[in-house]
Amino acid sequence: MEIIRSENLDKIYKDNWVPVQALKNINLTVKKGDYMVIAGPSGSGKTTLLNLLGALDKPTSGKIFFEGADISKKTVKELSGLRLNKLGFIFQAYNLIPVLSAIENIEFSLMLLGKPEALRRKLSLNALRDLGIEELANKRPNEMSGGQQQRVAVARAIVNDPSVVLADEPTANLDTATGSNLLDLMDEMNRSKNITFLFSSHDPQVIERARILIRLRDGQIESVQTK
Amino acid sequence: MTKNLLINLAWRNIWRNKRRSAVVLSSIIVGVAATISMDGLTNGMTYQMLFNQINLGTSHIQIHKTGYTDNRLVKNFIQGELQLKADILRLPGVKAVSERVVTFGLVSSAESSAGIYVYGVDHKAEKRVSAISGLIKEGNYLSGAEREVVVGYELANKLNAGLGNKIILMANDPSGKIHSDVFRISGLFESFSSGFDKSYIFVNSDDLQNMLGLGNSYHELAIIVAEPSLAESLKSEIRSAVGSDFEVKTYRDILPILVMQIDLSRESMWIVNMIIGIALVFGIINVMLMTVIERIREFGVLMAIGFSTGKLFSLILLEALIIGLSGTIIGLVITGLIHIPFSYTGIDFSWFSEGLVSLGVGAVIYPVVSYQTVLLTIIMTPMIAVAGAIYPAIKAIRLQPVAAIRHY
Repeated sequence: MEIIRSENLDKIYKDNWVPVQALKNINLTVKKGDYMVIAGPSGSGKTTLLNLLGALDKPTSGKIFFEGADISKKTVKELSGLRLNKLGFIFQAYNLIPVLSAIENIEFSLMLLGKPEALRRKLSLNALRDLGIEELANKRPNEMSGGQQQRVAVARAIVNDPSVVLADEPTANLDTATGSNLLDLMDEMNRSKNITFLFSSHDPQVIERARILIRLRDGQIESVQTK
Repeated sequence: MTKNLLINLAWRNIWRNKRRSAVVLSSIIVGVAATISMDGLTNGMTYQMLFNQINLGTSHIQIHKTGYTDNRLVKNFIQGELQLKADILRLPGVKAVSERVVTFGLVSSAESSAGIYVYGVDHKAEKRVSAISGLIKEGNYLSGAEREVVVGYELANKLNAGLGNKIILMANDPSGKIHSDVFRISGLFESFSSGFDKSYIFVNSDDLQNMLGLGNSYHELAIIVAEPSLAESLKSEIRSAVGSDFEVKTYRDILPILVMQIDLSRESMWIVNMIIGIALVFGIINVMLMTVIERIREFGVLMAIGFSTGKLFSLILLEALIIGLSGTIIGLVITGLIHIPFSYTGIDFSWFSEGLVSLGVGAVIYPVVSYQTVLLTIIMTPMIAVAGAIYPAIKAIRLQPVAAIRHY
């Protein structure tokens, strides 16, 4: 089942009034259960593409379809609703809300969705358990290691059962062993729960796990590799 | 986290930088305390000025023969046979009435002399109308005994006369002839106004009427009403009761400069409050802008995970509202704790301002906080805090999630 499809996607930035073509003619499709990695050197457009597919940014031209609906013309409010309901995000710098505990960070998006307290708590605890960090439930981000924070970020991303989880360089701030453990967990979730993951990364650990590998160079798709 | 997401988040965000929040809270507390204290002192001072003037003799309402106010001649007297006092005492709201013989004269001792206002009063009635009897510091107030006089300390010093000494009073009768008589000082008073203490003396009305050949006539009817606010309505009632041969004036008509001064000080309080408010707005804008700038990345993440711009805007305003409310409550409590004891004991300003006594205020000021000011402070301070957060909140919601997440 198709979740995201992009058609002739272009993105041009203005850098000091000088137009910079960040992406050019990107056509790709993300399907349910995919474990897709967008790889490429720095400046190749990985994060830009992820941001467009994650409804965080708008293309200069071209179209993005999310579950069949064109999102390139949606309003800020509609895009916000889409991100809340259908997408999960994992950032390079974890980006947990510092004043909330681990479980509260996970509950946060469920609260925005208006889920009842008991259900929120149950789903959040399940997510923490799945990631093996149940004992961190009441710890705040500054009381956790980078690896632990990133696990909480993964739990936050998957707890509302999104159509797709977008992970931007999720292992960039982690040591090799911690990054590998985290990737194993996401791999396992993809396989056992059929959660769709879309990564942007140049970390070999992430790339070698990709079942669909899209290589970008200078804003264009250089190759698509399916394992 | 409990059910109310925004309130909890706002509350925790406020306390993530305790020092900064404490600084904002302190500025609000100081603003609240300054507003209320200024109001209390200004009201206390102006009310005391007015209260003292009323109690020193102005009373709430005065009745004179028409033309007396413009030309205070002895011949402009009210006939005693008219029984005005009895008629006025019957009016609802009237507490006390005193007939006064009033003239300007010269008082002399063996060593000195001074121009003064002489009040001839019925000592029993006057006790209910003016506060002079309570201001006697040495000797006694008038008792009805023949040729007794009560003078202020300042005048006694000027005349170099003391308790029991004789003084000579000279004044014109209605035909213009000068009469004089000897009086003995029975009491010395000290009021809240040094000007009053050296310019007014009090004798029994019989003595003055006899000296000036006035029979039972007098010049002034001084009226005290149950509530000062009743003065204006009673004025109309009395005017229609006594007719056009008499002029009826309230303390507001008699003391126009003082009333204007009170109104002016109230107006100027608004300007001071506005300045405090504006300073507070800029302080809050500054702090909230810092808060927003520090949390750009966090706002980006919030927006990325579906936190709407409306909620983000509300969150920032809510943080300011909580700070504003907390500051207002703490400020009110602290001000109350300081103000309430002072409203009973008063604040003694004599050590740095003798001018207050010459203004007729008294050296000790009893602060009076108006409930309007308290109510306005409760409403306006949190609103000012929220107003100060609007611009930073607009800055926050204009952030692009992508750019905000990358912000370091």
